[in-house]
Amino acid sequence: MASSAATPTHAGAASHSSEQSGLWSWLTTVDHKKIGILYLYTALFYLLVGGLEAVLIRTQLAKPNLSLVSADFYNQLFTMHGTTMVFLVVMPLSAAFFNYLIPLQIGARDVAFPRLNAFSYWVYALGGLFITLPIFWGLAPDGGWFAYAPLSGPTYGGGYNMDFWVIGLQVLGISSLAAAFNFITTIINMRAPGMTLMRMPMFTWMSFVVQFLVILAFPVITAALFFLQFDRFFGTQFYEVAAGGDPLLWQHLFWVFGHPEVYILILPAFGLVSEVLPTHSRKPLFGYNAMAYSGIMIGFLGFGVWAHHMFAVGMGPVADSIFAVATMLIGLPTGVKIFNWIATMYGGSLRFPVAMKFAIGLIAMFTIGGISGVMHSSPPSDLQQTDTYFIVAHFHYVLYGGAMMGIFAGIYHYFPKMTGRFMSESLGNWQFWLNFIGLNLTFFPMHFSGMLGMPRRIYTYDAGQGWDLFNMMSTVGTYMLLVAGLLFAYNFFRSKKHGAPAGSDPWGAPTLEWSIPSPPPDYNFAQIPEVTSRYPMWDLKAPDRTAGIEHSHPDAAVIAEAHAVPMHEETERRTAKELGIPMPFNTIKPFLVALGIIILFSGLIVLHIGNFPLAMATMLGGGAFMVGSLYAWLTSPLE
Amino acid sequence: MPKLHLRRFAPAAALAVALLVLAACGGEYPNSTFSKNTELNEGAVFLWDRMMLLGTIVFVVVEVLLVYTIFKFRRREGGPAPRQIHGNAALEIAWTAIPALILVFLAVPTVRIIFENQRKAPAEALQVEVIGHQWWWEFRYPQYGITTANELYLPIGKTVNFSLRTRDVLHSFWVPQLGGKRDLISNRVNHIWFTPKATMEPTALNGACVEYCGSSHANMRFRTFTVSPADFEKWVAHQKTVALGSTAAAAADSLAKTAVKPTPIRTASVLPAPSLAPQPDSSASAGVWAFPADKIAAYAWPQTPLPAIAFDETRLAAGDPRAGRALLTNPANLGKAPCLTCHVIKGETNYVNDDQAKGPNLTHFGSRHTFGAGLYRNDAKSLALWIKNAPAMKPGVSMPTFGAGEYNALIKQIVPASAGLDDRQIADIVAYLLSLK
Repeated sequence: MASSAATPTHAGAASHSSEQSGLWSWLTTVDHKKIGILYLYTALFYLLVGGLEAVLIRTQLAKPNLSLVSADFYNQLFTMHGTTMVFLVVMPLSAAFFNYLIPLQIGARDVAFPRLNAFSYWVYALGGLFITLPIFWGLAPDGGWFAYAPLSGPTYGGGYNMDFWVIGLQVLGISSLAAAFNFITTIINMRAPGMTLMRMPMFTWMSFVVQFLVILAFPVITAALFFLQFDRFFGTQFYEVAAGGDPLLWQHLFWVFGHPEVYILILPAFGLVSEVLPTHSRKPLFGYNAMAYSGIMIGFLGFGVWAHHMFAVGMGPVADSIFAVATMLIGLPTGVKIFNWIATMYGGSLRFPVAMKFAIGLIAMFTIGGISGVMHSSPPSDLQQTDTYFIVAHFHYVLYGGAMMGIFAGIYHYFPKMTGRFMSESLGNWQFWLNFIGLNLTFFPMHFSGMLGMPRRIYTYDAGQGWDLFNMMSTVGTYMLLVAGLLFAYNFFRSKKHGAPAGSDPWGAPTLEWSIPSPPPDYNFAQIPEVTSRYPMWDLKAPDRTAGIEHSHPDAAVIAEAHAVPMHEETERRTAKELGIPMPFNTIKPFLVALGIIILFSGLIVLHIGNFPLAMATMLGGGAFMVGSLYAWLTSPLE
Repeated sequence: MPKLHLRRFAPAAALAVALLVLAACGGEYPNSTFSKNTELNEGAVFLWDRMMLLGTIVFVVVEVLLVYTIFKFRRREGGPAPRQIHGNAALEIAWTAIPALILVFLAVPTVRIIFENQRKAPAEALQVEVIGHQWWWEFRYPQYGITTANELYLPIGKTVNFSLRTRDVLHSFWVPQLGGKRDLISNRVNHIWFTPKATMEPTALNGACVEYCGSSHANMRFRTFTVSPADFEKWVAHQKTVALGSTAAAAADSLAKTAVKPTPIRTASVLPAPSLAPQPDSSASAGVWAFPADKIAAYAWPQTPLPAIAFDETRLAAGDPRAGRALLTNPANLGKAPCLTCHVIKGETNYVNDDQAKGPNLTHFGSRHTFGAGLYRNDAKSLALWIKNAPAMKPGVSMPTFGAGEYNALIKQIVPASAGLDDRQIADIVAYLLSLK
């Protein structure tokens, strides 16, 4: 067990004054690590929300003709389960790692725009509440996470429900876009001297690709949402059937965003696994270049396959063929990743802490989702699969078996860095096996119920259709996943206080984030290290492992400009003031701007209620509050 | 905790998968997508089989390599440091090229079958218009002037060309046993065609809407009856006539004869009553023909539980179809919403035509086996409850609550006795509707 390698010095014991840890400090923080932790906690809270929604869904479907929940409430549940898991759980969990890890992995003291970073978080947190809370009044969005027009439009979806979805998603898009520009700027400009692009840790690489996917895909959904918003609130007719509007416009726009979104969800997990596997195999990542390029390739091809979600709309044989073949092609770079991960482990010296188990779990489970994904690529066969539980099985293998397994691997792997303590391995093992069995018990039978004719998004089904056994299995599996999730939460919070102390580099990992104390001091690196290879920590601690790879020193001028020193481990924990490192001031203004945006958009709901003067007052008031706070933000000094 | 659990779980997992596969092969699966009932689905099954084979090979290769690696390269105390390998160009090219080759074996037949499926349908095909409504199916046979709902009759051995459209939101048309699905898209007409093979037995099959369409998406089902060409001819001949019950009742009315309870009769050749609906030639006498109830398998009979709506069932036996007809057709009897402002019954005085009707065409309602879009068995009790309080039986349905004293979920009010129907009146309407053979 790795904990034997831990140095029980000051781990996790750094005392915090209330200035550093009180509520106000969290509201005003601009530290990328604290923002990362905020993302992590918020996303884990929403994971519980989305998980409970799933439990209700599966309980309703345990047997035929049950009526635990009403049809309308069920429709809200499945809409919110999808929306929550995609936008409020997996993306923000990835964002937690982007925030926490990218500056540490590239040897930077923070992100390029710390206050913009805080703004991204607050927009996410408030936007998430905006879209989640209505379920308590039975007003949650009910048009599906895909919100197909015209059901999502004013004529057929005239309630308040889809208002919250349209506005909430629009707001969340602001958060994702701001964060993406921030990370791109950070990665391009703030790498330590010597860290070329092809020396970046693979997680940073995959994150880098994801940010480009975000800035290319989110403007498309933003435009689509504006059309829908204008249809709903201002009487335009982009999707209005009676006025000759075209519902397929929405579908194309949604999936031009929606398919790259899948890669936005999965690539960060691929990145995390690419950190975990080499560390616990004591072997470098096999085919680093191919891994980076295949990530880029997946991102690139991801923009050319959207219409495979739409084979049933009847696009004609030429379009069907093109999108079929393009979709098959995506299997190639993904396959490269799978084989390279196995080759990384092959010939290594493997140990199996929980993080490694989850990483291996991703390889094993994502493979299933990948193969069923290729099966949908063939339209004649997909027409039997689409909109059935076979698809539900497929994307849960991708998102639970893939993304969530990768994220759990990341949490177990980086928990010691974030807190200075290990998570419990024995609780973690229980969680892993419950997760592994639970996920297969839940989702594998869905392949069967789907191909045996069970449609998706139905709140009930008749007896005697041959689906009873499979549904019961799925429901039992879901309860196992619930137990696994609660076990994880218990482990997480217990270990934060009582976990075994971990040193700065408990796993013997190769990258920069492990060269500084755990948890890292607010300034990260007292002295910026000079990087000479892909594996700076192994250069330092196990030079024989990196003897075979290219080393080079950056330009002396570059080193001098960054005040960089040769690669070293930092063990001392001092304050930024003592070290003379200028730190950005904490500020409430990003939070206030985010609040202003929410108030501004809430005015649309008031408009729908029909109180025009109050709506105008809310929108103008919120807008003025936003602009005022933004002005104060932009005119106050950073540090 | 022991270090590795895989060994313990692997046999159990293998057993579970094997059981699942066995269960899937052995049981009765009435909505299986693997049938070879049409040429359309033969193509799908051919591609599925090939993908299953290739996919299984890839799966086994990956998982075996993974499990082998996990066991073979476990860290051992004092073991040698691993050899540091950073990559291998030949290997990496191999595991790009081999999957690419596998994809060729999938892509070529895929494209071939796409083009085969999307040829123009043969000109002599049976034309069927499928029109989606929230939440029921309208089927029209334009070659015969037939409009019906929720029960689709297809002749075995004849190509059927569907043109699909929707009156409201998107829907998707699917009979798993007959082939893939096709969406119904607002402002567009979509198409799909296939041929139930000549070797098929006459069968009742389940169909469903598979594009989420709102509250009762789950309740938008339908039945498909594949019938012999001779039976199809009989069915068409019958469907082209006006409803027997209605004409008999009309005749009875006009003669002002009382105490003659019209019973469903086998033949009729009566002039149709004036109607807005297009009138096909119905001068030929035709017998009632519907798919025989005793040939319908259990899975095709709805088992939706009936909600607890109080109804005096003893009334049903005494239902008077003539009185029912009067209630149904006379606007004065049903406030502002007589049945025929939303439904069409060929042969009666309709207020709307098929293109305007909000509810299913009820012309031969009595010869249908199900109602409510495949949700309930078409028997007197279910029907009585439906008329009494449809919104309580199908969420979101636009048919109002007619029963006096019932809670109308649509307008969130209790129907007052003055505006509602009592159980006796409902029994009369049920008797009339069931007489519409």
